Amino acid sequence: MKTVHQIVLGMILVFSSHVSAAERLSVYTVNYPLAYFAERIGDDQVEVVFPAPADVDPAYWMPDRTTIAAYQQADLILLNGANYAKWIGKVSLPRSKMVDTSRKFKDRYLYTSEVTTHSHGTEGAHAHESLAFTTWLDFSLAKLQAESIYEALARKRPMSEIEFKRNYQTLAGDLDKLHAQITAIVARDPDRTLLGTHSVYDYLNAGYEMNLKSVHWDPDEAPTVSRWNDLKHILEGHQGMYMLWKSEPLLESVSDLRKKGIESVVFSPSANRPDSGDFLTVMRANIGALALAYK
Amino acid sequence: MDSLYLAWQYVRFNKAKTIILVASITLIAVLPLALESLLTESERQLLVRAESTPLLIGTKGSALDLVMNSLYFDDEIPELMTMEAVERIHDTQFALPIPLYVRFQARGHPIVGTTFDYFEFRRLSIDQGCPLTMLGDCVLGAKAAELLGIGPGDDLVSSPDNLFDLAGVYPLKMKVAGVLAPNHSADDLAVFVDLKTAWVIQGLGHGHQDVTRTRDNSVVLKRADGNVAANAKLYHYTEITEDNLDNFHFHGDMSIYPLTAIIAVPNDEKSGALLRGRYLDRDDTEQAFLPAEVIDGLLQNIFRIRNVIDSVIAVVGLAMVLVIILVFTLSLRLRQREIQTIFRLGCRRAMIGRMLLAEIVLILSVSGVLCMAVLGVVNANAEELVRRLLMG
Repeated sequence: MKTVHQIVLGMILVFSSHVSAAERLSVYTVNYPLAYFAERIGDDQVEVVFPAPADVDPAYWMPDRTTIAAYQQADLILLNGANYAKWIGKVSLPRSKMVDTSRKFKDRYLYTSEVTTHSHGTEGAHAHESLAFTTWLDFSLAKLQAESIYEALARKRPMSEIEFKRNYQTLAGDLDKLHAQITAIVARDPDRTLLGTHSVYDYLNAGYEMNLKSVHWDPDEAPTVSRWNDLKHILEGHQGMYMLWKSEPLLESVSDLRKKGIESVVFSPSANRPDSGDFLTVMRANIGALALAYK
Repeated sequence: MDSLYLAWQYVRFNKAKTIILVASITLIAVLPLALESLLTESERQLLVRAESTPLLIGTKGSALDLVMNSLYFDDEIPELMTMEAVERIHDTQFALPIPLYVRFQARGHPIVGTTFDYFEFRRLSIDQGCPLTMLGDCVLGAKAAELLGIGPGDDLVSSPDNLFDLAGVYPLKMKVAGVLAPNHSADDLAVFVDLKTAWVIQGLGHGHQDVTRTRDNSVVLKRADGNVAANAKLYHYTEITEDNLDNFHFHGDMSIYPLTAIIAVPNDEKSGALLRGRYLDRDDTEQAFLPAEVIDGLLQNIFRIRNVIDSVIAVVGLAMVLVIILVFTLSLRLRQREIQTIFRLGCRRAMIGRMLLAEIVLILSVSGVLCMAVLGVVNANAEELVRRLLMG
C-alpha cells in the first residue's frame, strides 16, 4: 500500500513538473541585464532566452532570420529602450509582446556627445544615433526596468503576480544596495575626476553625479597618438586618476597609463553574459573597483 | 389529367410564344430576388470585415474614406496622422494599437504598411515561405501572388507615387518573404510590409554608405558640431539586402512619422468604451469609431437606393403582368374558333376552363423551376461574385 502511495505521489510530481515546464512563459531579451532581471523575477515560471553570441556587443548585434523568427514566437520580448538594440528598428516584431523596459524614464534619456551623427543637407534632420543606452548602470533606473519586467510578467500571468512581486522586491532590494553603495562611494569625493573609456558610463556618471570624463579608448586596441593627445588635455591639472575600462585592457595600455599616473580598473557594463558569476557578482566587483578609484 | 395533356400539347406546339412568356415571367421574378441575394451577400461581407475590426482611429474627416482605405485598402488616402497617436493609445493600456499606412502600390496592388500584430489580429497564416522578418521584406495576399505570378524569393518593386514628381518617392525593390493563405477578404489582394518598410518607400528611411567615416569628400557638404551633412550626390540604396541592412536608418523624430489609420484592439468591452471616450473632445484632431457603424450607415444608403430600384422593378413587374394578361386575353380571342371546335366535340366549359388554366400553370411552373435554378446558381456564386465586385 505504501509502495502504491509512493508511486502515485511520484507520478503526480512528474506530471506537475511536465505541466509546469510546458506552461513556462517564453521571454526573449536584447541584453543580459534584462535576462538576469527576468530570471530573478520570473523564476521557474519563465524560460528566458538571450540568444546573442557571448563575444558580441548586444547593442550592435544583428540576429539572423531564424533568431528573429524565434523572437517573433516569444511570449514576451524585453527591450532596453533608448535605441539600445539597433536591430529592433530593422526587423518585424509583434508590438503586443514587446516591453520597453525604460519607457517609464524616457524623459531622462541621455544623449552622448561621443557619436557623430549625419544629416542630408545643412537643414536636414539628424539620424538619431546619439542616445546613450546603458541605462542599467544607474541602479535606480535598473530598478525601474526590473519593475517594468515584473508588471509585464504579472499581466501575462496574473495568477502568479504575488510570486513575481515577491521576487521583484528581492531583486529591487539588491539593486537598492548597489545604488546605496555607489552613492556612498562617490560621496567621499564628489569632485574626483575619473576617466571612462567609451560612452557606456553616461548613465553611471549622471545617475551618481560623478565627474567622469569620457575618452574613446578600446580595451582591445592600443590607443593612437591622437587619443593620447585627447587624454593629455584632460589630465592637465589632475593627478592620481583612475580610468574605468569596460573589460580587461591590454597590459601595454595599463602600463603606459601607469607611467602617466593613471591606474586602470575594470567596470564592466555586463551587457552580455559574464564568463562566470551573474549580473550581481559583476556589479559588486565593479563597485569594488570603483571604491578603489575613490580611495 | 386530360386537360393537362392538352395544355402540354398546346404549349409544345406554340414554342415561340411559350418561350417568350416563360422568359418574361422568369426574368421579372428572378431580378428582384437575385438583387436581394447579392445585396444581402454584399452587406454580409462588408459587415463581417467591419465587425471584426473593433475600433478604428484616424484624423478627423471622412470616416467612410478612412474605413474604405483601412479595411478594404481603397486607394483614396485619408488625412494622415502620426505615430504619436499610437503612443497615445499605448499609454492608456486600454487597447493594442495596430498602425496602418496604406498609401503606396506595387503593380496595381495596395501596399499595406503595418506591424506583425496585424497578421494575428486578422488570423492570416503563411501558406508559402515565411512571415515578415526584416526591413525590405513583403508578404503577398494569396490572390495578389497568383495575379503577379511571384512567390517567396522573388522581387517586387514598389510603384512610383507620382510619375511626374521626379523628386518624389523612389521605387524600392522588396523581397517576397512569403505568401498568405486565402482569407476571402481584401487581404488577399494586398502586399504587406512592415510599417518601417513603408516609410523607407516614402523616403523617410534610407540606406547609404557611412558618411561619418567615408573618405569620399565629394559626398560631404559640411562637417561641424558632431554632425556630417551629406549632399545630394550621396547614393541611396534602392534595395535592402542582408549586406546593406545595417546602413538603413531613419532621420528625425519618428513620433511624427505618418500613418493613415490605427486599428485599436481593446482589452475588453469596458476598455473599448473608455478608449472611445478619450476621443470625444471637440478639439481633438483624431476620431475613434466603430467601422461597423460606418458601414451600416453606408448600407442604409445603399438600401435606400435599393428600395428605389425595387420600386422600379415592381412597376416594371406590374406592367409585365398586365402585358402577360393582355397576351393571354388576346390569345383567347385568337383561339375562339379552336375553343368552339373543342366545345362542339363535346368538351364541357369547365373542362375548357381547366385546360386554359393548366396552360397558365404549366408556363408558371416552368418559369418557377427556371427561376429557382437561376437563383440557385446566383446564391451558390454570390460570395465569390460579390467579393470580386468589392475587391475589384
